[in-house]
Amino acid sequence: MIDCREAVRRMWPFLDSSLEPRPVEELERHLEVCKRCCGELEFSRELRGLLAAAGAPAISDQLRDRIEQLLAAGPGAGPGR
Amino acid sequence: MRRNETAIEEGATTLLEATGHADRPVRVAPDRRFADVAHAHLDQLYGYCVQLSGDRTDAEDLLQDTLVRAMRAYHELRDPAAVRAWLFTIATNCVRDRWRARGRELDTVPLEATDPDAEFSLFATIAIEDPFPYSDELHLDFLRLFADEDLQAVFAAMTPAFRAPILLTTVHGFSCKEAAAILGSPLGTILSRLHRGRKQLERGLWEYAVRRRLVTVSDE
Repeated sequence: MIDCREAVRRMWPFLDSSLEPRPVEELERHLEVCKRCCGELEFSRELRGLLAAAGAPAISDQLRDRIEQLLAAGPGAGPGR
Repeated sequence: MRRNETAIEEGATTLLEATGHADRPVRVAPDRRFADVAHAHLDQLYGYCVQLSGDRTDAEDLLQDTLVRAMRAYHELRDPAAVRAWLFTIATNCVRDRWRARGRELDTVPLEATDPDAEFSLFATIAIEDPFPYSDELHLDFLRLFADEDLQAVFAAMTPAFRAPILLTTVHGFSCKEAAAILGSPLGTILSRLHRGRKQLERGLWEYAVRRRLVTVSDE
């Protein structure tokens, strides 16, 4: 049986679906008997949701104009040519 | 103009479908004009540049550098379905190069005997400090304190080597394996940095909330 420390270490990869089946089974067995880690997992899910939903600053109109000019100019645009 | 926007949106959908399901047939035409491809990813790329560099002015230059490099190399792109990851790889390399020119490193991890954040748990800290005594949703209420600009500030304070994998996986939806390829690091390294980054992020969120007096704690 894995301990809480190891369970916490596996939570984000678990939520990323990056864990192999065996570590997932071990984590799930731990969660069956550890209420605190169930809370930690739920909190991890909420925290990741907050980060995923965080809006990045919008592209300014001036930058968008420069980009349009860059793309219109094609591969020869920009420095180094 | 509207017809052009619609074409871009359709293109973006096709790309997302293709990149999100590797087992399905790739439906991206390899000869799509680079401008169409770039338009579909501009906002996310700019967001990544801001979040990774921590500086909006730098991010503007980085986005343009990324597009110039990508435009010149687009004809060499072998797998059109991987275009999103390819663009993020170029953006990451632009950040790495720019920082290196200034004597900063994107990939350097602090050499410490012990990780100062290893034992920190935001979940436990909130429960112990109980900053909202009358709340039925203590942990959720803590997260609700953070507006987008607060999160950007916490991200910007993180060690870049830990920040990058979190941005790629949690914010931009790449798998750990894809993030490892984008950052040019072994998967094991990325998993380790994700864990340390998560701990650093958790401590950063708590300390930011205390410093900004978003929460009141017993010893303040």
